[in-house]
Amino acid sequence: MEKTPEAASDSESSVYSDLEEEEDANTSDDASSSNEQESADSNNDKDSENENLKDHHEDQRNGEYFLKKNSEEKKVEQVEEYAVDSSDEEDLRNTVGNIPLRWYDEYPHIGYDLEGKKILKPMNSDELDQFLKKMDDPNYWRTVRDNTTGQDVILTDNDLELIQQIQKGRYPDSSYDPYEVREVIYNFATEQEEKWRSKEPEERKTNFIPQKFSCLRMVPMYADLIKERFERCLDLYLCPRERKMRVKINPEELIPKLPKPKDLQPFPTVESIVYLGHTDIVRSITVEPVGQFLASGGDDMTVKFWEVLTGRCMKTIHFNGKVKNVAWCPNTSVCLIAVAVEEKVYIINPGLGDKLVISNTDSLLQTPLEDVGAQKQQIISWSTADNEQWTQGIRCTVVHPRDVHQITWHSKGDYFATVMMEAGNQSVIIHQLSKRHSQLPFQRLKGNVQKVLFHPLRPYFFVATQQYVRVYNLLKQEISKKLLTNCKWVSSLAIHPKGDNIIIGSYDKRLSWFDLDLSTKPYKTMRHHKKALRQVAFHRRYPLFASASDDGTVIVSHGMVYNDLLQNPLIVPVKILRGHKVTQDLGVFDCCFHPYQPWIFSSGADATVRLFT
Amino acid sequence: MAASTNMSSFPECQVKFYTKQVKYSLPDSIFSVPGNATSSELSDLINALLKDWSEEEWKTVEFDFIVGGQLLRLSLQELLDKKEISNETVIEIEYFERYPTPTPQDSLVHDDWVSGVQACKDWILTGCYDNTIQLWTIEGKHLLTIPGHIAPVRAVAWIEVGDPISTFVSTSHDETAVIWQWNQQTNAIECVNVCRGHARSVDCVGVDPSQGRFATGSYDHMLKVWCVGDQEDGALEANEGEGSRKRLKNDAGKNKNRTPIMTLAGHNEAITGLEWTSLEEVCTASMDNTIRLWDIELGGMKSQLTGSKAFLDISFSRLNRSLLSASTDRHIRLWDPRSKEGTVVKCVFSSHVGWVTAVDWSPVNQYHFISGSHDTLLKLWDIRSPKAPLYDMTGHEDKIMCVDWSVPSLMISGGADSHIKIFKSEVVTEDEPME
Repeated sequence: MEKTPEAASDSESSVYSDLEEEEDANTSDDASSSNEQESADSNNDKDSENENLKDHHEDQRNGEYFLKKNSEEKKVEQVEEYAVDSSDEEDLRNTVGNIPLRWYDEYPHIGYDLEGKKILKPMNSDELDQFLKKMDDPNYWRTVRDNTTGQDVILTDNDLELIQQIQKGRYPDSSYDPYEVREVIYNFATEQEEKWRSKEPEERKTNFIPQKFSCLRMVPMYADLIKERFERCLDLYLCPRERKMRVKINPEELIPKLPKPKDLQPFPTVESIVYLGHTDIVRSITVEPVGQFLASGGDDMTVKFWEVLTGRCMKTIHFNGKVKNVAWCPNTSVCLIAVAVEEKVYIINPGLGDKLVISNTDSLLQTPLEDVGAQKQQIISWSTADNEQWTQGIRCTVVHPRDVHQITWHSKGDYFATVMMEAGNQSVIIHQLSKRHSQLPFQRLKGNVQKVLFHPLRPYFFVATQQYVRVYNLLKQEISKKLLTNCKWVSSLAIHPKGDNIIIGSYDKRLSWFDLDLSTKPYKTMRHHKKALRQVAFHRRYPLFASASDDGTVIVSHGMVYNDLLQNPLIVPVKILRGHKVTQDLGVFDCCFHPYQPWIFSSGADATVRLFT
Repeated sequence: MAASTNMSSFPECQVKFYTKQVKYSLPDSIFSVPGNATSSELSDLINALLKDWSEEEWKTVEFDFIVGGQLLRLSLQELLDKKEISNETVIEIEYFERYPTPTPQDSLVHDDWVSGVQACKDWILTGCYDNTIQLWTIEGKHLLTIPGHIAPVRAVAWIEVGDPISTFVSTSHDETAVIWQWNQQTNAIECVNVCRGHARSVDCVGVDPSQGRFATGSYDHMLKVWCVGDQEDGALEANEGEGSRKRLKNDAGKNKNRTPIMTLAGHNEAITGLEWTSLEEVCTASMDNTIRLWDIELGGMKSQLTGSKAFLDISFSRLNRSLLSASTDRHIRLWDPRSKEGTVVKCVFSSHVGWVTAVDWSPVNQYHFISGSHDTLLKLWDIRSPKAPLYDMTGHEDKIMCVDWSVPSLMISGGADSHIKIFKSEVVTEDEPME
């Protein structure tokens, strides 16, 4: 008997809809109808069964239908009876299913019987027949055609009464008086009660014994209500349903498994050498491609060259402006360094390293320029150094219209690009050393260019504006990608030596790693620094990258890029390097790795350059 | 004659003392000493015994003790626990006179950083970052300033000390090694040969035991071997092909230029230390984390020892045929180049707090060596005491760049404070040859 509430109400409604139909069917044979009527005149026995059912409804519905009870009892009774024995008459009924009957308009038959033979439509009587019928048949006026079967049906008195009641807008059952005050009196006969008691609790039709009360108000609370409700809930709880695989997740397991920093050796861990000599902020450092020397430049208007292993200052070149950027030419067959001082870029031969290379470099730069004077007014002008400059090491000067903020070399060492932040559309200029020629690669430039970078292997060019990094294909001369950095102000940019990953640092303390094959959004963003990032750098050989910040620290991270394209890069921060003093809220300005050793150099506002190994 | 100094609750140990130093020998007997005895207490005990024993007036001598191959620095019990020696057995303890405290003897002021130093019996040769080589007497008297290089001098080495003419070699950032002849009587110096061939600074030099050849290591990753004596013309011709580039500059008809008799490539990074281990073998330390042994006769690499950090110097002891390496990871390692299996690193000496830039074995004692570091300390070590050095010698105010212990009584260090510091110590040799 237990059903879910929904199912119960469903079955209820279906019972009622059946009811009407059955009534129709019943009325078709007049003879039985009186019978029904009789039986409806409830003898106690029958009613008790009715009551059982009814009471059940009550139980479920909290007596909502209580007042209707009398009339409905009978119908329910009929339904019950009919449901048992009406099966043999079914043949006559519609077999075509619930479809519009006009589909069969063109056919002589309507539907099929069990053997698959066509059921022919009853003969259609014409107008004359109709008329004759009207005259002859006393029941003509109460004959209607059942559209679903095509049969004529003679309405019974009951039906007529029902129709009349409905037409008058009254209760369909004329015997029903909604205002009648009724008493509910039900009781088990003794033998019934015995029978009820003898059954197993599960088999009992009802789980209570009807008792006599004068009115509903008198009915006490059902004694087993709580228990039954509980059992009901238990049933619902225990009933088999769709099995849900509950995945047990340990919060610990959600943390990605990262190797221990100890297993990721080697990486720089301790400060080893401090290069002392500068008197003001050291803005930029660069390491010779072979790794024996280091150059640094800063606000004290000098560029100093250091021997890496000893910390010895080998050479100092003075300028008449603050040095913004230094960049050693990556080509090992020449010995050159580019220095940005205000609006000039000096190409300097520091005279360190292989003597033969040094002299070759000079002879290369002494070769007379091709006649480029005819070039239409250039905003950039190249000039060869005078004698005084030559002895200092300066070989060429490239004069820009505005202050130069960044110099970056192409990996082959012939081209280099400069950035002038205040020059609008002309912010980026690409220079060719061998031809001593400059060009503007972009007609229009969106945004305020912060940093530019050459791709180490392919002809791509990265332009970082405040919020975006645009990747240009230099061969096709088109933009190929635009990276969304999600930060407010990009400060620095570095590319993995294999060229598929870049990192950017921003003034809003973030470092973002982009996998260029993966997405234009950061693969990973790290916020380990407490203040703005000034520089980011990749190691050429070891899977290391670093970020330098105004909080005075350099954070070294392990950044493994796998050859397997399906495997994401492994990024593990491994070491915070402290050493620089924060001076006037400025910390570390630049950092760069040694080309061969797992060492990192950093320069800061405390006028020092430091080596961590 | 059971002497017991036991007064504490520590378990007693049965010990037997022995020594290789005959003058301090005692008759065999077993003593019972408390477990918490330290070396100074044991030293007092030995002194008391010796005083009883000797007929003459006994002067107190400080002794050091070796238990299970390690110097006693903590209490006896702690060392026994560490070495897992049961104190039920009789423990044999070797004692010997403690290494006498080195005393600062002299400080030689230079104009610039001192990056190379080597002493011979009477003179000290130093290489300086002001492109000069300085010659001093052992007493600290300045003899000569030799301006020969055009870039900082990196290393110096005596080739032959004769009377009156001595020869030595210096290497420099200017990519050359120069052979000099010095007449001690006239104090005249002559540049004999300029060895050209390296493409970057020549950072280390070593003279072979026969004093006929020397080898140089450079930042250009190359190891080159040069002949000291007069080069045959034939040899010159033979080398002309490969060396033509290096012989571009000739000094006014007089060909002082010299080309290497052998160039050995193999290191992937700068060679920072070099030492001859025999007449035919050179070992080199490099920043590519390897130590390589080269066969000079065959002209190839023999074997390779791999470390984990860049090496900065190497030293070879003829007494125990072991190598010492100085490294950027602040440790000194003792290598046995002959062992093929197992760990080649026999011992790690950790006490420096900066890069160890130079190491040198004692010329007379197989257990002792000195090391200099960026932490400004010169340390004297006994290989039986890896955790703590025997002595820390302070004095430098900046990085130490070179050390030398060629003269047994002098430990010399030079550094970035432009000073040479000389420490004097009594010579401690072993009375018995090693077995």
